Amino acid sequence: MIGELVEGLTEALNRDAVEQVGQGEPDWLRQRRAEAWDVYERTPMPTTRLEQWRYTDLKKMLALDGMTLGQAEAAPDDMEQWPVPLREAMALDRENACGHIVFIDGHVVHTDLDEALSSKGALLISLHQATEEHPELLEEYLATKAVPPEDGKFAALNAALWTDGVLLYVPRGIHLERPVRVTRWFSESGVATFSRVLIVAESASRVSYVDEMLSDDLDEQSLISVAVEVIASDAAQVQYVAVQRLGSGAFYQSVQRTLAQRDAKLDTLNVALGASVSRVDLNARLLGPGADSDMLGLYFGDGDQHFDFNTSQDHVAESATSDLLYKGALDGSSRSVFRGIIRVHKGAQKTDAYQTNRNLLLSPHARADSLPNLEIEADDVKCSHGASVGELDSEAKFYLMSRGLNRTQAERLVVLGFLGEVLSRLPMSGVGDKVRHVIERKLRGLV
Amino acid sequence: MPQNEVITDLDLDKHKYNFVTAGKPVFQAQKGLSEEVVRQISAHKDEPEWMLEFRLKALKIYNAKPMPTWGGDLSGLEDVLDEIYFYVRPQDRMGRSWDEVPDEIKDTFEKLGIPEAERKVLAGVGAQYESEMVYHSLREEWESKGVIFDSIEDGLKNHPDLFREYFSTVIPPYDNKFAALNSAVWSGGSFVYIPKGVKLETPLQAYFRINQERMGQFERTLIICEEGANAHYIEGCTAPVYSSESFHSGVIEIIVKDNARFRYTTIQNWSNNMYNLVTQRAMVGAGGHMEWLDGNLGSKLTMKYPSCYLMGEGAHGEILSIAYAGNDQHQDTGGKVVHVAPRTTSSIVSKSISKGTGRSTYRGLCKVYEGAHHARSNVECDALLVNDTSRTDTYPYIEIEENDANVGHEASVSKIGEEQLFYLTSRGISGDEATAMIVRGFIEPIAKELPLEYAVELNRLIELEMEGSVG
Repeated sequence: MIGELVEGLTEALNRDAVEQVGQGEPDWLRQRRAEAWDVYERTPMPTTRLEQWRYTDLKKMLALDGMTLGQAEAAPDDMEQWPVPLREAMALDRENACGHIVFIDGHVVHTDLDEALSSKGALLISLHQATEEHPELLEEYLATKAVPPEDGKFAALNAALWTDGVLLYVPRGIHLERPVRVTRWFSESGVATFSRVLIVAESASRVSYVDEMLSDDLDEQSLISVAVEVIASDAAQVQYVAVQRLGSGAFYQSVQRTLAQRDAKLDTLNVALGASVSRVDLNARLLGPGADSDMLGLYFGDGDQHFDFNTSQDHVAESATSDLLYKGALDGSSRSVFRGIIRVHKGAQKTDAYQTNRNLLLSPHARADSLPNLEIEADDVKCSHGASVGELDSEAKFYLMSRGLNRTQAERLVVLGFLGEVLSRLPMSGVGDKVRHVIERKLRGLV
Repeated sequence: MPQNEVITDLDLDKHKYNFVTAGKPVFQAQKGLSEEVVRQISAHKDEPEWMLEFRLKALKIYNAKPMPTWGGDLSGLEDVLDEIYFYVRPQDRMGRSWDEVPDEIKDTFEKLGIPEAERKVLAGVGAQYESEMVYHSLREEWESKGVIFDSIEDGLKNHPDLFREYFSTVIPPYDNKFAALNSAVWSGGSFVYIPKGVKLETPLQAYFRINQERMGQFERTLIICEEGANAHYIEGCTAPVYSSESFHSGVIEIIVKDNARFRYTTIQNWSNNMYNLVTQRAMVGAGGHMEWLDGNLGSKLTMKYPSCYLMGEGAHGEILSIAYAGNDQHQDTGGKVVHVAPRTTSSIVSKSISKGTGRSTYRGLCKVYEGAHHARSNVECDALLVNDTSRTDTYPYIEIEENDANVGHEASVSKIGEEQLFYLTSRGISGDEATAMIVRGFIEPIAKELPLEYAVELNRLIELEMEGSVG
């Protein structure tokens, strides 16, 4: 049809680019990219008229038109030439990890996994490597079960244009005692970068995954899009952690879905400290009886940062549990949006589902919007939700100051205590320390 | 009896309220809505030019606004709107005294118990029969205090300046599609004015009835509560059961001036084919105090969110909401509190019960604007599910632009506890009775705020509705 408007079609984002990025890939994958692009073209750009986008106006916040696809050449092999913040973060991470992947501008530049684990069949490889070595896993799981293109405009765009990503595969019964670390560095201004994470944990396996994103401040807006798929088979235990510390100018967009089968324990933590705009769509699906998801979130904003979390807890199976706790502190004229929904589907009796969102406003210009929703279609359930927005506990602050702390120190401690409730619920040691460390760093720069 | 088996026909209150009086409307506009119909209504009411213009402008807004896609299922509504009469006037003039009221209307009131109510010194009784006030009395004592309790039409006629100063200032036609519709075709409702410092001990009451098949009712109420005044307005609805769909869309505007206190109590028990879409809002001045007590028991679909706009420092808003959704009913209700001024406080307490295939939804807003420092708000919603076919939703919106504010929201969903039931039945109480007791306990915090006769009625309703709910 002539003149039909396709929203989000730009000089850089188009069908040619999809073919370009898929060059050298097997036919089935190129076909999938093309199909994803079809979905992208026919899906309208979300507007604030949609409930899920009510408070994040893409028209004002995202300028796709000016962006190019990242052109970064492969990073130098010599690690000494890598950016200092990246090497610092890597050094911290490497100590307590069983495997490590490093990205620079959307491309994997380093992978390693303990020999003991890879010999048992565990995989921690880039998606490019997986395309060649384990296409059967990608055919079955990549953008099919968890985040298919039909999930929305951004899911489709990502499925069409991803340049690289992570495949973490844990065979039946294998336990990864120490976490898997991913460190990403972004340097390019004015680009759109698409990557994916695919975690497949077979029955009774155990794994913890920590993904940290870093960048300098960017002169021009860049879109950093990450699609995350976590699939936990019966009785698997999986922990997914994302620590977003991007610089200003970054528009971070992440669609995440977790699928928990019978007796699986599938926990997530989203830490958002950086980026100008941060939008996370997280859907936890409890598909088998006894499945359990702890969903944690932490955010801390200043300047004119904008955080938007859109979470959902889908109780499809009976006798499953989910518990969500998102806490944030907002300074300057930053703002946060939390929109969460618990859906108890017909027949999902004996569901226990909880949802809590708490916000601390540290400045008169900060703003927090909270929309905790419930949709319950079974009667034998225990569900509750709570939300609050308030100021710093002045009594606690006063108490600390009376013990000799100055105002700044006292405020920092109170904020840390407020956010600490989330960290105390992290079961894996090592991960909590890491997150506490980056929050303290942000606080020091702030208060 | 299986747990999800539900008594389909409870004949609730049929003997008392379910009757149709053979009334012959004096004037009836044509079916459906058009500019011509709006002009007819205005001409028929002998309105000033500005009101006609207001109605016509509102009609344009109504036509331009899309049907809401949120809330309840309104897909059947378009057909209903084509079929209804937007204006019915039952008699030519207001009945000034009881003797002048036609016998068949008196008969209707008899069944509703209005004369009885009057004997109980229920003060001024403005009763709405079809679309207009037909019977109206006001105690002399109040007249001497300067209180106005009129039909909305008489308010416009007799107090044109006062009326025009406040009319549509709280809910303008562009507020939402149904407020626009009401603004175009409003008919009937009350006009209330409480002068400065006047305190009314006994509540003002209006009874509403719909009594003509396919007749929409677009009541419009405007209440002005002057500085330091104190009053309570009660409105209750009962509607006879009809086979075809029906529609009610009211607009209630209340102005609560500085340091005034006002409470608006409403219980609706429309028949289960009614679409009930109401906008009700109060603007509250400094130190003022507004309470909505909102009960939704009937109708096919109700969408109603009483709101308090806290405009002056220290204003307080309170919303108590109770909803019951039985088979095929959807109660989409809740409340909104908007904090504009400093040191304003508010509270919303909502309790809902869903039974059979009923669905109850809490939808609410708590907004604190920048500058409304030291605002405090608390929202509590509890939902009770009786059967596995019942459904409940909670959609609160919390929007906070001020750091010096404290806002909390808590909601819980539960079913009737087996342990509670077991305990009661082990004491020799029947299952139905035990269920009714538990439900009564659940709603007690709100029921105790109701005027006695409503509380009695509500308790009776729950007993009837809980029959056969456990097996």
